[in-house]
Amino acid sequence: MIRLISTAIALSLAIAPAMAQQPPSVALEGDVKLEKVVEVDGRSKTVLEDPKVVVPGDKLLFSTKYANKGSQQVDNFVVTNPVPQAVRVADDSAAALQVSVDGGKAYGLLSALTVKDADGKVRPARAEDITHLRWTVPAIAPGASGTVEYHAIVR
Amino acid sequence: MTNAFRTLALASLAASTALGASQAHAAGVNAGTLIQNTASASYGTGGSTTTVSSNTVSIRVDELLDVAVSSLDAGTVSLANSAVLTYRLDNTGNGAEAFSINVSSAVSGNGFDATIQSIAIDSNGNGTYEPGVDIVITNGGATPELAADGSTVIFVVVTQPSGTADGLAGQVRVTAQALTGAGTPGTSFAGQGQGGGDAVVGATTANANALGSLIASSATVALVKSFVIADPFGGSKPVPGAVVTFTIAATATGSGSVSDLHIVDAIPAGTTYVANSIALGGTALTDAADGDAGVASSSGIDVTVGTLAGGASNAVTFKTTIN
Repeated sequence: MIRLISTAIALSLAIAPAMAQQPPSVALEGDVKLEKVVEVDGRSKTVLEDPKVVVPGDKLLFSTKYANKGSQQVDNFVVTNPVPQAVRVADDSAAALQVSVDGGKAYGLLSALTVKDADGKVRPARAEDITHLRWTVPAIAPGASGTVEYHAIVR
Repeated sequence: MTNAFRTLALASLAASTALGASQAHAAGVNAGTLIQNTASASYGTGGSTTTVSSNTVSIRVDELLDVAVSSLDAGTVSLANSAVLTYRLDNTGNGAEAFSINVSSAVSGNGFDATIQSIAIDSNGNGTYEPGVDIVITNGGATPELAADGSTVIFVVVTQPSGTADGLAGQVRVTAQALTGAGTPGTSFAGQGQGGGDAVVGATTANANALGSLIASSATVALVKSFVIADPFGGSKPVPGAVVTFTIAATATGSGSVSDLHIVDAIPAGTTYVANSIALGGTALTDAADGDAGVASSSGIDVTVGTLAGGASNAVTFKTTIN
């Protein structure tokens, strides 16, 4: 009887270190804030608030925090974010990020992309055409973290 | 890695397409729409690829209360007896909303204030006022609920107050206000938005109005009475037995017309009415209250001229003998 119990303890001891050797886990944590321009002492200032009341035209900041909680380095870390239909990517983010205007098939800078309009004519892509955003982080060391974010305007 | 990536991307494209149909509103996305954002990531470690998704952040679009009112009349509407003014109300907010309608003819600068007879909502959307078909509402009453970006036509039936001078101008104001509430832009009404969110007053203050213009079309009547005497001796002396022919000329002036015009006169004392001597516009009338326009007796005459348009005139004649 005593022997049996000690075997069980030995087993569990053997498993515990094995779990630490599992593939590294990266956690993603999404958040959204409402960007408001407020007047402070006659100067305009942008503040971030929890979105309590959101109406068309409001500017939002979507962020995704990543953290390498594993013990191994993570390589070629690619974050993909489909843009919700009810918003369009704000111009500042649209110009700076890797974007897709074809549902995530091809990515590039917005200025290099084109779309076909309703009557089949090719025109330069605009911020409201963006369907997906992508960020690439070459490597994340164990314990390291960071945030990717984009500004969007409620359509 | 490529495969996992491709699958994810396609799945989200399908989701976007499905949502797409109800979007693209001038007033923005509909109140109650959920904005849901999820990021995913793929990464490699030692030759294998892993994909993770973030939590989904979700926010609900609140209702923006906005309204616009305009006049649909091509220009100034002529108001003789009654006229219909036509207005259009647009729900420029992003949620279904009903609006209270207030109509006022007391507008500063008015030459006259029209009498508001009734207010109706164009029930069948044909843009034409149809009594008995269009829904009549009381002044201050509300429209049916209008969808976001929806509109309705409002008819205001007005009449001309009696005694309004020809050519006077008058305006009628229609004011619409969101039933949920109005006020300074940004004012919010917790939990009262469509889809369960808040309702927020937009740039229009959720209250708008438009003016319709009227010009009074009326006429006034001037009566001129004259007489000619024919004495029994071929002269024109007012002697007993002489016949006096009275003429009462009615002339209307103005852009409108007068209606139900009666010319009434008493037989002068000392004279006797000559039976069946009344005439209207040269046409003889009988004294009896019968089918024709004239009635006469020993005490006086009453001739129905009826409608007389501005610029037109008519005359009544009758004869008496001097006693």
